Amino acid sequence: MAGYVARRLLWVVALLLAVSAITFLIFYTLPSADPAAIRAGRQPTPELLAQIRQNLGLDEPVYVQYWRYMKGVVLHFDLGFSYASDAPVRDQILDRLPATISLTAGAVVVWLALALPVGLISALRRRRWQDRLAMGAALVAISAPVYWLGLVALYLFSKDLGRFPIFEGANTYRPLTDDPAAWAASLLMPWFVLAASFAAFYARLLRANLLEVMSEDYIRTARAKGVPERRVVLGHGLRPAITPLVTILGLDIGILLGGAILVESVFNVPGIGRLAYDAIRQADLPMIQGTVLFGAFFIVVANLLVDLAYAWVDPRVRTA
Amino acid sequence: MNRMLARTLVVLGFAVFAGAIAACGDGEDGADSGGFASGEPVEGQKKGGTLKVTSNADVDSIDPGQAYFQVTYQATYATQRPLYSYRPGNTDEPVPDLASAHPVVSPDGKTVTVKVRPNVRFSPPVDRAVTSRDVKYALTRGFFPSVANQYVGTYFGDLEGAQAVSEGKTRDLAGLQTPDDRTLVMRFSTPIGPTAARALVLPASAPVPEEYARAFDAKKKSDYGFNQVATGPYMIRSDAKGKAVGYVPGRKIELVRNPSWNGSASGDYRPAYVDRVDWTIGANPTVAGRQVINGSGMVSGDTVPAPIVKLAATRHKAQIAFSPLGNRYITLNTALAPFDDPDVRKAVAAVVDRNALQLARGGRLTGKIATHFLPPGIPGFEDAGGLEGKGHDFLAKPAGDAEVAAGYLRKAGFADGRFKGARISMVGTRDDRGSQIVLENVRKLGFDVNFRNLSQEAMLAACATPSSKVHVCANGGWLPDFNDGYAMLFGPFSGKTISPEQSPNWSQLDDPRINAKMDAAARLTNPAQRAKAWGEVDDMVTATAAAVPTYWDDVPLVQSKDVQGVVARWNAAWDLSFSSLK
Repeated sequence: MAGYVARRLLWVVALLLAVSAITFLIFYTLPSADPAAIRAGRQPTPELLAQIRQNLGLDEPVYVQYWRYMKGVVLHFDLGFSYASDAPVRDQILDRLPATISLTAGAVVVWLALALPVGLISALRRRRWQDRLAMGAALVAISAPVYWLGLVALYLFSKDLGRFPIFEGANTYRPLTDDPAAWAASLLMPWFVLAASFAAFYARLLRANLLEVMSEDYIRTARAKGVPERRVVLGHGLRPAITPLVTILGLDIGILLGGAILVESVFNVPGIGRLAYDAIRQADLPMIQGTVLFGAFFIVVANLLVDLAYAWVDPRVRTA
Repeated sequence: MNRMLARTLVVLGFAVFAGAIAACGDGEDGADSGGFASGEPVEGQKKGGTLKVTSNADVDSIDPGQAYFQVTYQATYATQRPLYSYRPGNTDEPVPDLASAHPVVSPDGKTVTVKVRPNVRFSPPVDRAVTSRDVKYALTRGFFPSVANQYVGTYFGDLEGAQAVSEGKTRDLAGLQTPDDRTLVMRFSTPIGPTAARALVLPASAPVPEEYARAFDAKKKSDYGFNQVATGPYMIRSDAKGKAVGYVPGRKIELVRNPSWNGSASGDYRPAYVDRVDWTIGANPTVAGRQVINGSGMVSGDTVPAPIVKLAATRHKAQIAFSPLGNRYITLNTALAPFDDPDVRKAVAAVVDRNALQLARGGRLTGKIATHFLPPGIPGFEDAGGLEGKGHDFLAKPAGDAEVAAGYLRKAGFADGRFKGARISMVGTRDDRGSQIVLENVRKLGFDVNFRNLSQEAMLAACATPSSKVHVCANGGWLPDFNDGYAMLFGPFSGKTISPEQSPNWSQLDDPRINAKMDAAARLTNPAQRAKAWGEVDDMVTATAAAVPTYWDDVPLVQSKDVQGVVARWNAAWDLSFSSLK
């Protein structure tokens, strides 16, 4: 197991290196604005441009810039300075991280709380009205663009703009440490909006898995032995049906920790997703690089944890 | 990021939802041109309370020595006192702000002398009286590579010794002398003095205490902005050491009263009604616009999208104000064939459908069809022909005139009135339907066009780099740094501004007559003579058809019912030092 873990950790490092290198290359290959020219204004002297390039390290070959950047990241956890705001990238990301974690964690709780019972009931009431209603709603939730759903939710349920003023609206985010009640109130609607499509997808997946599992021989055997139906479903059926969901859940959490751009934008939750979006709009390479690295880190770590959990459960995976 | 880019961001802001209010601008849906908020100060405005600002955009830099965006200036001018500034409703002539009197320009135009007021103090932790040395340091640091102000090179680059500072050879700008605490003498190597004196309204002239800022400016990238001190009525909320904790990039700006500000006792004309400004950054523009209109104590901090303009213009007229801002144009590269021929350029100018462009931008409410380059409100506008222009035939019909276009092409040697020749390149920006309209117009004349739809940054880079060899740039535009013809015309149309990189002169117009006329106009100190001269320059540029003027923007600004918003006309944004709650 130790060898397996070591191998996977090496892969994590290699993957992060590859992601950072590709981001660097994309930035320098695709048509984009010259950060020095942007800073220098509309009538810069060549000397000023040269000075700014030197200051930003842009006068060095790309591989030297990359090497210097990675050295800073590895040795000092220094992600450089934003071209747009001049603020340290690390500080800005760490400032945004609590909002993203808050949004993700709450949404995960909501979507699991919705998806598990809905998927279960749908599978157990297959082709009845409960199943059709639940799966129809799930289809709508999956099809609705998150951005649109966020706006509709705001115009229906926010206290300042909604027809049915129930929840706090956009621009109300408060950090957990400032006021826990206000924090939860400001995130309720974003949680539900973000959770909607995930809940629908998970419910459909759970339903499909459960239907398959419930037709297995061992379920029939359990029933034949007179095991109570509740135990058959929850003990013998649900556990194997839910396992694939755990894998996907790990990856989804990783992706969302990298930023839920649309929900963050609609509700103005100051998370990493919006930070990344703004950085892309402003050709702010250090910030793009920082947010991509953070996003990639969360995804590979989530992936790693899922794989380790699988390896722990199933020893065959370690040697595969 | 420069004012051109700022302009393009504004363009994008309009373009995304532009079609939605086209009808509104034509007087449908109950909207007409009357009844909107005036944006002027009124008697008996209420004191106290908190004004809430929401914007999608962040400031370009919180450092007053770097600030250059329209959005940013709202915060900068509430916290800093430059030497001169514009009262909200008067954009013709600036008034002394930190300065105690108008600048004195020597007859040869090479020396400008400014007197600084006594009794103006920096906010804590510096908390001392401002002297002329603080203004000298403020202007000097603009040339530091660690600060790299975007406009000091343009307006103060001819100060003696400026180049040595920008090259990092010295930190003492020889052309700035402070014979005493109240006097600043600026010595230029050229007669740019009258223009430089007008540029002293820009925030780079707001004082900076050297003994405090030196350590921040010595870094590779100055972080003085995050530790700044204020001289205006407000300051960014800061801790005891001066760290501006009230500014979190991309999230918020908190302005609180500056305890060292002593208002009219130090000659400040700003009333500073509200006690506090809470500015939320990153708001979704449509949601934020609705929040402002339905909510309480709020104003918009940046461009309002078209659905909100339509909503306000039809149902909440008293909550929307409009303010003119800059211009838009299509550039034709005079250094590349076939646009080295003025008749070919005039043919293109004649065929462009500016009515369609106006509709694509959002209709009449969001601006007027341009007939030349100086926009309304800029001195020289009337001298250049006002709204009607000087009657150039190739700009006579806003919907385009195919006959006139064909006539110019025949004059250029194309007997059938259609262009036949090598393929030309054209660049536009994504999300802008105006680019497509221009493309179709140009194709009507027979041009084979290689059209590229780029991101705005990539478009700016392509059009501002002569070696890119772009024939037509569909999304040109210019915001004035201050209200003067020089600030509108010199950058985009003087041959002196052509450079290998970041050239603002996209047309590469280098006409010795126009260059000379601009130089002469820049030396004039008398406002009326100066306005007339720049009006003449404007007409000369228009006559070359090096660019096709298409549009003069009107910026929509919204406020809550209980806000008495006052517009800083020169910046086309709310003036936070004059706006109040009702």
